[in-house]
Amino acid sequence: MFKLLREIVKTGDVTTRYPKKPFPISPNFRGRVEYDPLRCMACAACTIACPANALSMVTDPAAGKRTWMFNYGRCVVCARCEEVCPTEAIVLSGQFELAVRAKSDLMVTAEFSLVTCRQCDTPFAPKKEVDYAMALLERAGVNPHDLELRRVQYETCPECRRLNDFARLRETRLVSGLDAPAAALVADLVSHMAPLRSGAELEP
Amino acid sequence: MKPPDTILGTNLVPAPGAVFSEAEEIAKLKDSLMKRIRRSAYVFRVDCGGCNGCEIEIFAAFSPIFDAERFGIKLVSSPRHADILLYTGSMTRSMRLPAIRSYHAAPDPKIVIGYGACGCTGGIFHDLYCVWGGAESVVPVDVYIPGCPPTPAATIYGFALALGLLEQKLKARHHKEGENEVVIPIRPLIPLRLRVALEREARRMSGYRQGRIVVDRFMSILGHEGANAPFAERMKAYLDEEGDPRLTEIFERLNDIVEGRPSGWTGQSSASSSTS
Repeated sequence: MFKLLREIVKTGDVTTRYPKKPFPISPNFRGRVEYDPLRCMACAACTIACPANALSMVTDPAAGKRTWMFNYGRCVVCARCEEVCPTEAIVLSGQFELAVRAKSDLMVTAEFSLVTCRQCDTPFAPKKEVDYAMALLERAGVNPHDLELRRVQYETCPECRRLNDFARLRETRLVSGLDAPAAALVADLVSHMAPLRSGAELEP
Repeated sequence: MKPPDTILGTNLVPAPGAVFSEAEEIAKLKDSLMKRIRRSAYVFRVDCGGCNGCEIEIFAAFSPIFDAERFGIKLVSSPRHADILLYTGSMTRSMRLPAIRSYHAAPDPKIVIGYGACGCTGGIFHDLYCVWGGAESVVPVDVYIPGCPPTPAATIYGFALALGLLEQKLKARHHKEGENEVVIPIRPLIPLRLRVALEREARRMSGYRQGRIVVDRFMSILGHEGANAPFAERMKAYLDEEGDPRLTEIFERLNDIVEGRPSGWTGQSSASSSTS
């Protein structure tokens, strides 16, 4: 009997005092996803990595907006988004108290503006992402003159850039020196590319 | 609001997405159950097609460590005794009828909880051919406990929230891009190629999440400007403090990459380290 009592006293109370006192969290615990929209550039790396589609993005070209959305209710806390985020906008915290009464409280959204193409005025990439690319180039030691030329290139949508490349090709001897069938082929290609300029066939 | 006879089951097979609604007096009763409960609350689990991870965590919440029974919350084996219905798993086609039947079997007023990522929205299974979504695609849900699976502590918090003992912490958030918002690249002092090589090697050695944590520590020691001691000394001091041989090995390997020494491993990392 005495031995048992001693054992009980020695073991103590194993039950956590959780709701009254904070619950101790292991440093490796993967908890709530903390999102900092100021560090986010809407690059969509996390939405591609997310296996459960808890993260998603919707682009609205008419309004020139891209909306980043996160649903806590679908998140499986795998930390893939934290891994791929190049700017540390997503960090997993030790928070686990996520229960809610209304489903709408599980949503986190952020709105980002898009850059419009210098040639065709189609919105195509988030403004913050283009700025980030420029900042990386600047850090890599590109001189200011080249940087401005690159900015022109970066603020042109991929379709317009492709058309520009075709136009440049035609001017060079490579294309002008072609025989008639090959030149016809290139002309045909260019005419097929033309509708892309309007952006009608390519939805972002 | 639908008349009460719809609740009590003349129409047991609703179309996907149909939701039962409650009569007003029952909603009022439930309100008092959620606000001023003066007795034990009995919980019945309904597994609608999950992976059983949630079940393990629910039972862990009733183990001596967490002991949810000290709050009077008790698991029962029949919905007829239940105050709280715990829907775990995504709502599958085959389990929708048992889910509806247990909802009808539980006496009013009852609290319905969507438990786990699957119970909330369908989770990772949301786009399967046989999955209709979360529990709310068939029954009206009062409280959502997300997580995959929710830890026992999160489970207790969810119960406390359902019974009105604790306050909700999570709120919907929306951000609109400001005027001159710019993202500054991280780790300005370390060249991009070296950073990529370090991150890749750290992840190869210790897994994707731990790798990031380890390489972050390494780079914060490496890129620390104002320190007086040379990098090797600072690294040694940190490793001695941690006293973890695994961490020491990874740090030594990362240091090899910084100093341009070839790796013993003949894979991708040797190619990337030669570029640094």
